[in-house]
Amino acid sequence: MANPLRSYLTCIRNTLEAAMCLQNFPCQEVERHNKPEVELKTCPELLLNPVLICRNEAEKCLIETSINSLRISIKVKQSDELENILTKKFLRFLSMRAEAFQVLRRKPVQFLPTLHGSKRHCLAHEGYDISFLITNYHCEDMHKHKLIDFIVQFMEDIDKEITELKISVNTRGRLVATEFLKQFI
Amino acid sequence: MACFNRASPALMEVLLNFHNDEIPWDIDHHLVEFGSVKYHIQATTLDPRNLYLSVSIPPLSPEVMLSNGLPNCILQDIKRVYSDIVEVVRPSKEGFMVTIKLDFNKLPRHKDECIKALKDVSSLQSVILCSQFKDMLWNIGSQDISRGLHQPIKQVCHFREPFFLIRMPEKITIVFPIRLKEESDVVLATAFFQELVDVGYSASCAKAPPCTWSPIPPPELRGEYLQYLNTNGGFVSFDIFSCHVKGVRMEKTLWILLNFYSYLNYYLKSTKACIQRKMRNRQEGLVKVLQKARIEEDEDNKQIQGPKSGRKLISFPKYKSFRRKCSAFARHVKRIRSPIKIKALNRFRRKWLKFPKCSSFKKYTKLE
Repeated sequence: MANPLRSYLTCIRNTLEAAMCLQNFPCQEVERHNKPEVELKTCPELLLNPVLICRNEAEKCLIETSINSLRISIKVKQSDELENILTKKFLRFLSMRAEAFQVLRRKPVQFLPTLHGSKRHCLAHEGYDISFLITNYHCEDMHKHKLIDFIVQFMEDIDKEITELKISVNTRGRLVATEFLKQFI
Repeated sequence: MACFNRASPALMEVLLNFHNDEIPWDIDHHLVEFGSVKYHIQATTLDPRNLYLSVSIPPLSPEVMLSNGLPNCILQDIKRVYSDIVEVVRPSKEGFMVTIKLDFNKLPRHKDECIKALKDVSSLQSVILCSQFKDMLWNIGSQDISRGLHQPIKQVCHFREPFFLIRMPEKITIVFPIRLKEESDVVLATAFFQELVDVGYSASCAKAPPCTWSPIPPPELRGEYLQYLNTNGGFVSFDIFSCHVKGVRMEKTLWILLNFYSYLNYYLKSTKACIQRKMRNRQEGLVKVLQKARIEEDEDNKQIQGPKSGRKLISFPKYKSFRRKCSAFARHVKRIRSPIKIKALNRFRRKWLKFPKCSSFKKYTKLE
C-alpha cells in the first residue's frame, strides 16, 4: 500500500474503531419500532458528531454515528473521464448486488456536512459514491474488527480495481488498434 | 454491418444444405441481414442443379440511385470473381439489384474446394459493396477535382452510420463521424481512438493508412448539414494513398474501411464484457472477506477443531515437567527402597510425592 493511502486508511480504521460501539436502542417515538437512528435522525441526543476524513478534494470519507447505527460514505478519486466511468460502473455494479454485502447501502448519501453541523444537499457529482450502513445487529452477527477490516479492504480494493481496469482498457485498446491497422499491411 | 466475415453465414448454410441433399427439393427462402441486405434463394425440382440467388443492398451513396439494377462495372466484377460457377441473369428479379444462377454441376468435386466455392458465393454482398465503393472512389466527383473542388461524398454502409469520402489529387480521406448512444461507450471509444492514433505513428504500422482523431469536424466537412456534424465521439479520419489500394490490397482495404463501425461496436461490446467479468471477480473476493467476519462461521471452525483446543486449555507446560520429575523421583525411590519399611519414609512419600492439584498452579489474582 502506498504511504499516503496507508495514513488515510489508518485514520479511517481508527475512527471506525472508536465509532463502532453500537447498542440496541428502540425508537423513542414509535412503539415497537427499532430503526437506525443515523438514517431517521429522530432525536439529536442519539447522534454523534459526523467525522469527515479527507485525503484530498476528490477523496473523502464521511463517518456518521448514532447510538444504534453507523453510516460510512466514501467518495472515490476520479482523475479523468475514463476513471469516472469505471468508478461509476463498478460502484453501481456493487450497489445492485447490495444484498450480498448486507452492510452496503443501495443508494449513496448525497449531501455534505457543513462546518455548523447542518447538512447541505448537493449536486450529484458532489455527493458520495458509495455508502455503508452498519447497525447494532450487524455488530452482533459479525466481529467488529473484521467488519472494520472489510471496510478498509473495500476502500483499498476499489482503488486497486479502478487502476487495474484503466490499465486493462488502455492495453486492450492498444492491442485492438494494432490488430486493426495490421490488417492493412 | 455486424459481421466481419465476407460470407453470409445464413446463406452459406442454405447453400450447403441444398448441395448436400441428394433428393432435390423446392427452395423459396427470403433472408434479411443487418436490417437492409435482402436475399432471395430459389430452386425447383424441375431444375435441380441450378439455384437462383437474388440480392438487394441499399446504395452506398444516396447520390447514386440503383433503381435500374447494378451498373455494368459491378456486374463485370461479379462475373470476374465467379466466372466458372455463376451466371448473371438479366434482367434481375423484381425488387432486387442482381440475380445470379448458380450451377451446382460446375462446383469442384473435392469437398474442401466445393465448400470454398460456396463460401465465395455467400460473400456476394461484400463483392457488390466493395465494387460499389471502388467505383465511387475513382469515378464520382472527378469533375470537381478537375475544377479544384474537394467536395465530401456521403456514403451510407449502414442506415445510422454514414461516413464521408473526400477525393484529393494525392489521397482519399475517409471521415467517420462517431455517434454513440451511451456515455460510457463514448469514453471507451475515445480512449480507443487515442490508442489508434498513437499506434498509427509507431514503426510497426508505418505502412497502414495514417489515422487522425479530432473532437471537432475536420475542415473538409465544412458546409455539410449540421445533423451529420453533430457527434459525441468526434471524427476519425483515414488517409488512403495509392500504395494502400494497389492491386490485391484494394478490396481488402475497402472491406476493412466499410467495416470500421462494426469493428468499433464489437470492440466496445467486448470491452464492456471484459470489465463486467473483472468486476464480478472482485465482488466475489469482497463478499468472501465479509463472510469471514461472521461470528457463526468462526464458531463452526471452532467446532471442527474442538477437542484439540479443549486439550490445549488444561495443558500447562510447567505442570507437565513437574509431574515428570516427580514420577522419575518416585521410581528412583522405589528402586532404592529397602525391604524394611521406614515409617518416616512413608510419611515423606505421602507428603512430597503426592501429585499436586491442577488448581494450585493457576495463579489467580483476586480483583478488588
